[in-house]
Amino acid sequence: MKLKKYLSFTRIGMMESLQFRLATVVIVIGNLLYLTIVFFLWKAIYASSGTDVVNGMTFSDTLIYLVLATALFNFMEMYTVWEMGRSIQSGKIVLDLLKPMDYRKLLFWSYSGSFVMNFFTTFLPTFIIVGIVTGGAIPLKLNLLYFVISVVLAIMINYSIDFIVGTICLFTESIWGINIMKQVIVLLLSGATIPIAFFPEPMKTIVLYMPFQSIYNAPLTLLLDGSPDMEDVLMILGTQLFWCVTMTVISKLFWKASLRQITVNGG
Amino acid sequence: MKRKGFGFYLRIYIKILTQDLKSKMSYRADFIISTIGMIFTNIAGFVSFWILFRNFPSINGWSYHEMLFLYGFSLISLTPVQCFFDNNWSLRINVYNGDFIKYCFRPINLFFYYQSEVFDVKGLGQFAFGLGTLIYSWGKIGLDFTPLILLKMIVFLITASLIMIALQNAAAATCFWIQNSFYVMDLVFKFKDYARYPITIFTPVFRFVFTFIMPIAYIAYYPSLVILRPDDVPILSWLSPLIGCAFFWLSYKFWMFGASRYNGTGS
Repeated sequence: MKLKKYLSFTRIGMMESLQFRLATVVIVIGNLLYLTIVFFLWKAIYASSGTDVVNGMTFSDTLIYLVLATALFNFMEMYTVWEMGRSIQSGKIVLDLLKPMDYRKLLFWSYSGSFVMNFFTTFLPTFIIVGIVTGGAIPLKLNLLYFVISVVLAIMINYSIDFIVGTICLFTESIWGINIMKQVIVLLLSGATIPIAFFPEPMKTIVLYMPFQSIYNAPLTLLLDGSPDMEDVLMILGTQLFWCVTMTVISKLFWKASLRQITVNGG
Repeated sequence: MKRKGFGFYLRIYIKILTQDLKSKMSYRADFIISTIGMIFTNIAGFVSFWILFRNFPSINGWSYHEMLFLYGFSLISLTPVQCFFDNNWSLRINVYNGDFIKYCFRPINLFFYYQSEVFDVKGLGQFAFGLGTLIYSWGKIGLDFTPLILLKMIVFLITASLIMIALQNAAAATCFWIQNSFYVMDLVFKFKDYARYPITIFTPVFRFVFTFIMPIAYIAYYPSLVILRPDDVPILSWLSPLIGCAFFWLSYKFWMFGASRYNGTGS
């Protein structure tokens, strides 16, 4: 019966996001614009380089990687830091803390409805368009399954990182600065701006040891490889699972410890 | 009504500005974190350039330092919109909750009064970073430096900023018609990231689009050609000051038209 409680949040979230149909249109336009820019930029880059394959990635690979990274970003971005920061500033957080539900779960599930909607309205169209533009360069085999599993793990890692950053807002009461720092670090070090395969050597190894690459690099690597070694797949998913557990535990402990420090203005 | 002079507005602006800075200073932690966040954003932009050019020596005939020049140029030209027009981001919320009505009752220009209320200090960090990048690449490319070139530089930087200001004004003003205009603002805000690429990488159709329909090529590319490639300046570069003023004027009229339709919320 426990799941039913959470799923009712999903339902409400779906209804809520149906109210903002225009936002969906704007996001899809934004993705298409980004697709155009990335397409021509990397086309020019590959044309200047003189070879078809750079760092093991073809032009189509790079295009799919970058555009889907953006699509994943739109899909996964829950504005958790904003939501928490604003609740803390306005004092609304007190009401949420009084609810008979863990705050961490409450926040996640109340956003889950938008996940479902965003998947169909922004991610799927972008996925199909980029598939068509690259002439079917996305392999449609078992890798799709790995991709889905990987994305689920990525969502949880991303959420935990967001939640940790949001908890920091309890102490700083600064939202914009903290959020932009998080966003910049995650987008750069996860490979969403430039594929990690292009990173120069010492940097690449360091980045692969960080949790951020599990958010975008891992699912996209799995998606692009049509016939992967089982070993590689397990390695990537295992790393993701490791980070998922680690970050979840850290975020929970950090939140628990911080909750005692909380000072709420009014409310 | 008697028109008020420039001196009058300048005096008012300084008065409002001092109040704003005073109130900002009471949130010192937020101020420091936001500034660090801004610096992070710029460093990340720089790092992604660096990674890209580690793999590819030139893109479409544009060298690393020339691209850096474009990047620095775009950062500086984006400073005014960040510093002086940041209140556009709050317009949506002010309109939504009815606070906007207070601006309508002042005997001074509505647009001026609204924008004057916030001065964003973070923009200065961006300015410094942009200036550093510009000077560095200027030296590396070995461009001339004469008073005339400096004058040209300043004129064309102002031009470029006017375009971005105009785009943001127009995007912000959409909130007078649509509820959730955050996504429109966000879309336009991302234009600045696309502005740093030379427009020659696009096919003619998209060159036309980015020159005349979504004028992002004027944020850095066309104006900077005057300095960067002085032997071969297209007519559009020379026209860009005019285009900048025209766009700014149009966006101002659009903004004011939206404001004139504002009815308040009745509270």
